[in-house]
Amino acid sequence: MMNVKPILQLIVKCTRDAGLHTCAPLQQIQKLTRLRVIDNSELGKSAMLEGRPPKCIHIYSKIRFGYTGDKVLVAIKGQKKKAILTGCHQNQKPLMPKFDSNNIVLIDDNGSPLGTRILFPIPTMLRHKLVEMSRPKGADYTKILAIATRFV
Amino acid sequence: MKLQLCSFSGYKIQPGHGKTMVRTDGKVYVFLSAKCERAHMLRRNPREVRWTILYRRKHKKGMEEETTKKRTRRTQKYHRAIVGASLTDIMAKRNMKPEVRKAQREQAIRAAKEKTKAAKANKKANAPAPGKTKKATQKAPKMPRAGRPGHGGHGGRR
Repeated sequence: MMNVKPILQLIVKCTRDAGLHTCAPLQQIQKLTRLRVIDNSELGKSAMLEGRPPKCIHIYSKIRFGYTGDKVLVAIKGQKKKAILTGCHQNQKPLMPKFDSNNIVLIDDNGSPLGTRILFPIPTMLRHKLVEMSRPKGADYTKILAIATRFV
Repeated sequence: MKLQLCSFSGYKIQPGHGKTMVRTDGKVYVFLSAKCERAHMLRRNPREVRWTILYRRKHKKGMEEETTKKRTRRTQKYHRAIVGASLTDIMAKRNMKPEVRKAQREQAIRAAKEKTKAAKANKKANAPAPGKTKKATQKAPKMPRAGRPGHGGHGGRR
């Protein structure tokens, strides 16, 4: 017992210092995931500049995890805002591109984006999911595609 | 559906195959297979990996030699008129037949010889000094050359 403790401590120290993602599911979007705002809204830009990126606090989906195109609730600069996930670091389903960062576009309740332009690439496959999500007389989530400049 | 090329290997990616990845700086990479993707993640340079198209192109393997031929540049030659002679004169002299040219030359030589003979006779009559006759003989071989028709046009160029 006395001999095991320092070895365990060493192992814990090593894994902590390496900072490695050892498990694939940990790359999923879930509560408290830090996200990257890619539109040019004032709120998003100031938050990213400050070094306090928005945190996901709720995912509008039956499963606990978010995939590209899901609506999420984020805490940004002390406010609660809704956002659409436009890119995930996790391995995606076929035909959906994979991004190196978890990207969001801030929207309001109607689905209209808060910013005026999105300069980062957005997947074209997003359209299919956004159209499914949108209600004819309710929220139209495909508006974010209108402000996008580059598609992947 | 547009046929994409793999970012690593350079092969064509059929629809329904492959994986795209977008980097944080916005660069997009399309991979044909997990092999290509993993090689890229290992930071391998496709120009050093033997089976990729980039390597083959760099080391000029295979097809390239057959398809591309070096186009030789050829400068266009064309005849221009010079100050001393117009284009028609130049063309006339160039197209002159050798018999005609020879006849002209003979004529010029004969004329020059006549001239030197006359000059000699005059000089003998006027001042019979030995040095002057030498000068006259020295002039004789040069005259026929000046008389030849071909050289007249080149005077201005030099």
